[in-house]
Amino acid sequence: MSAFGAPGERSESGQLARYAVSPARRRKDRLARGGILACTVIALIPLALIVYYLLRKGLGAWSTSFFTTDPTGNTFFGGSSIGGIKSAILGTVEIVALASAIAVPTGVGVAVWLVEYGRISWFAQTVRFFVDVLTGVPSIVFGLFVYIVLVVGTGSSYAGYKGSIALALLMLPVVIRSAEVILLLVPAALRESALALGAPRWRVIFNIVLPTALPGMVTGVLLAVARAAGETAPLLFTAAYTQKTNFNLGGFMNSLPVQIYKDVTSPTTAVVNRAWGAALALVTMILLLNLIARLIARRSRLA
Amino acid sequence: MIKNKMGALASCAVLTLGLAACGSSNSSSTSSSTTASTSSASATISGAGSTFAAPVYEQWASALSGLTVNYQAVGSGAGITSLESKTVDFGASDPPLKAADEEALAKNGSPAVEIPMFLGAITVSYNLPGVKAGMKLDGKTIADIYLGKVKTWNDPEIKALNSGISLPSTPITVIHRSDSSGTTDGFTGFLAKVDPEWKSKIGEGKTVQWPTGTGEKGNAGVAGGVQQTTGAIGYVEQAYALEHNFTYASVKNKAGNFVEPTLESTSAAAEGITVPANLGFKISNPTAPKAYPITSQTFIVLNKDLCKAGTPGGEAAAKGVVKFLQYGLGEGQAILSKADYAALPAAILAKSKEAVAGLQCNGAAIG
Amino acid sequence: MDAAAIPGGERSVLERSPLARLPDRALKYGLTALAALILALIVYFFIRLVGQARPAFAKEGVASFAFGNDWNISAERFGALPLLVGTLITSVLALLIGVPVAVAAAVYATELCPLRLRTPLTLLVELLAAVPSVVYGLWGIFFLAPKLQGAEQWVADRLSLIPFIGGGLVTIPNYFITGLVLAIMILPIVSAISREVMSTVPVDHKEAALALGATRWEMIRLAVLPYCRSGIVGGAMLGLGRAIGETIAVTILIGDAPRLGHHLFAQGYSLAAAIANEFGEAQGVHRSALFAAGLVLFVLTLLVNAVARLLVSRAARANSSGAPVGSQAAGGMTALADTAAGA
Repeated sequence: MSAFGAPGERSESGQLARYAVSPARRRKDRLARGGILACTVIALIPLALIVYYLLRKGLGAWSTSFFTTDPTGNTFFGGSSIGGIKSAILGTVEIVALASAIAVPTGVGVAVWLVEYGRISWFAQTVRFFVDVLTGVPSIVFGLFVYIVLVVGTGSSYAGYKGSIALALLMLPVVIRSAEVILLLVPAALRESALALGAPRWRVIFNIVLPTALPGMVTGVLLAVARAAGETAPLLFTAAYTQKTNFNLGGFMNSLPVQIYKDVTSPTTAVVNRAWGAALALVTMILLLNLIARLIARRSRLA
Repeated sequence: MIKNKMGALASCAVLTLGLAACGSSNSSSTSSSTTASTSSASATISGAGSTFAAPVYEQWASALSGLTVNYQAVGSGAGITSLESKTVDFGASDPPLKAADEEALAKNGSPAVEIPMFLGAITVSYNLPGVKAGMKLDGKTIADIYLGKVKTWNDPEIKALNSGISLPSTPITVIHRSDSSGTTDGFTGFLAKVDPEWKSKIGEGKTVQWPTGTGEKGNAGVAGGVQQTTGAIGYVEQAYALEHNFTYASVKNKAGNFVEPTLESTSAAAEGITVPANLGFKISNPTAPKAYPITSQTFIVLNKDLCKAGTPGGEAAAKGVVKFLQYGLGEGQAILSKADYAALPAAILAKSKEAVAGLQCNGAAIG
Repeated sequence: MDAAAIPGGERSVLERSPLARLPDRALKYGLTALAALILALIVYFFIRLVGQARPAFAKEGVASFAFGNDWNISAERFGALPLLVGTLITSVLALLIGVPVAVAAAVYATELCPLRLRTPLTLLVELLAAVPSVVYGLWGIFFLAPKLQGAEQWVADRLSLIPFIGGGLVTIPNYFITGLVLAIMILPIVSAISREVMSTVPVDHKEAALALGATRWEMIRLAVLPYCRSGIVGGAMLGLGRAIGETIAVTILIGDAPRLGHHLFAQGYSLAAAIANEFGEAQGVHRSALFAAGLVLFVLTLLVNAVARLLVSRAARANSSGAPVGSQAAGGMTALADTAAGA
């Protein structure tokens, strides 16, 4: 039997001609796979380093009172009187929840329109064009825009919901873009067979397309939410900073990134530790959100 | 089953939206009532400005019961702009008000008032193992280091001032601020005053074109840079340097004495300076014998008649601001030394208190 | 077609009453209105920002602002070239380092990874997205940059003959470390989208390739990657957007020197960093110059995205107009590759 057996030819042991693969190809295959594995490991190294760094600097600050008391300005009397990060945690939850409530339905809606209705029309191209440009806008510019329009422009003060609007603007292009990518991959055959069975367009979208695309879209949405939760710049000039817990989105609202940013430059060591503890708390919160959302998404996946 | 899940998700979204809408529907976009407090027992005031002064204002705020102070450390410039657009009740600025700002603030319906609050200093910190204390520098030498003319620690210029110390030949790594800041303003202001070459080549300001050196962000960045690099020199805010036990040089003042940046020498810097009628003084190479020469000040800025000028918190906020200021200029001064900030000399403190007494709400003096 | 003949008894579309067609119409017009609203919002966004930026353009002139090499605030000269170059260098670096690693991780997770490791691996890569940008900046400057400084100096010394890369003194904050940390920051989004896209590759494509005798790597190269090309580029564009617009981490890591850095390991400045650093203290023309810097960023993103869109628009169109899944010719890897590339 020649080294390059004809397709289908079997060896004595019954195996198909495995050695139809030339040594050169096999080497390339092994090299490529090794390279891919190496890259994956490389991708994970920074994570390990950052998590270790965060744990080392932030875990010491954690305690029950850390999560249940508001930050105070009592930085110069030492001890536990500097308070915890309660208002920051609650603030972040509220602001990001509102931002997501604005950005996610809107973003998914626009993406659905782009894929289902707009497609390649000039109007759709224009929308895509502008959304694309929006992806590169620095986070601080969104904050400044809201600052100009809603704070200075109306002569009114900082408010939590204004921060949410800035974050929603930040999330919107990411949600639209990633949802569009995923929706485009839903096989046309799926849509067409549903339509052929007489389902109206809206049912096809809600019952066939969206559920199929849901796991992928959840990924994109979660990444957008994670980004929004960690951004400081849009909040500096919009939701501003306050120490006391405040549930009203119409007033000043604290948030974890702002608290971290403010504290990490303080001369008082205890305050800097609080900043790192807060950073660790933020990462943990987003991780939990990720896990919960994935669980929900997995349940609703089409079998 | 899918439909139920989608329905559940959708109704969750609607519910959140509804809750959020309820929460935000209280805030109208008028300037009268935007701040949050649900209980009317405690007033809420808002301020924005200087990052340098932020820790002290927050400490004062914590000490006061019945008053919530929301202070945004966005920078002196942004603080004044916020005050101009009536976003906050008071502003905080390290440099005194420029004429243009005074005009803009007066447009709100009442003239601007700036109230000096306390002082701070800028240390020249360095990292030179073996030289833990006693380094003496003068303005010209510092300027030459930052201009890149003096490159090693055993340069003749430095040797001339430090005959008693053996200096190594380590190269000097210059570190400066990369972000816009009042600390840079104070530092370059001093250099421009004492070194004509610096003044003509670089000038002064919150950001300048540094001819040499590494830029780091914030006091923490410069401090970290100095700690990490042997032979580094950087200018660091006094509170920071004292808190972290940095090694700093004593600087020659106008009277010819080499002074260390202690709280006393910082307060001494404001002795005997001429304070203009609007209290907007700027300490620059002071003449007092015990003064530390690189010193800066900070102000709280507001309109004289807060309510007339449309302060966002209304009358309650106006009263709250006065309470805050009275505390700060009174009992609050005791905290300053704990916080490693320097107090104003008695004469200027008295003038500040007078200015506070002159604040009004719709023509009536606030109590 | 006879309505009664359709299983389930549903009427055909043609026979549906106007009332039953209402939800369809409502959805279509509703979504169109939404898209129009978003478009109007974005246009309004630009108009407001152009308005804020106008005084700076009036003072400097648009070309001289964008390409002038002099960002001097105290002298009130605003030429944004150092900022623009800094943004470009760091973003390109981030893409060059980040995208291959991200795509490789995605390939591993979908194709080569043992099944039970898949979810943990996915989660770990996405955990990178949970870290706030300010933490990236601080970790970078206090932990990573000092550790890498020695290696960077070694590279700069060894490669001193190559212009731009070698031959200079390495500072702790520099272009390279900024690009590296940005690469880490964009890893999750590029990887996640690539992974999602790769997991939708029809199994028939992959199995056909394997059945024809392809090695695993060849199967990936011929059946998976071409199919996912537009999706991967989409993810990369999002990553690029993040890299171009990243503010806080960049201000901490790039050194904020308003000059053109002369080599890879020198300090520089970026458009977003300038805005973040200087806005708090900026007044008058300076302030509008910062908004103008933001506009330069938009144009930059615009150009890059337009080019990318152009490259994949053909592929996207083919996908959405429904190239039938089963239309691959049987036999021959070339035919498979051709179809996959065109789909």
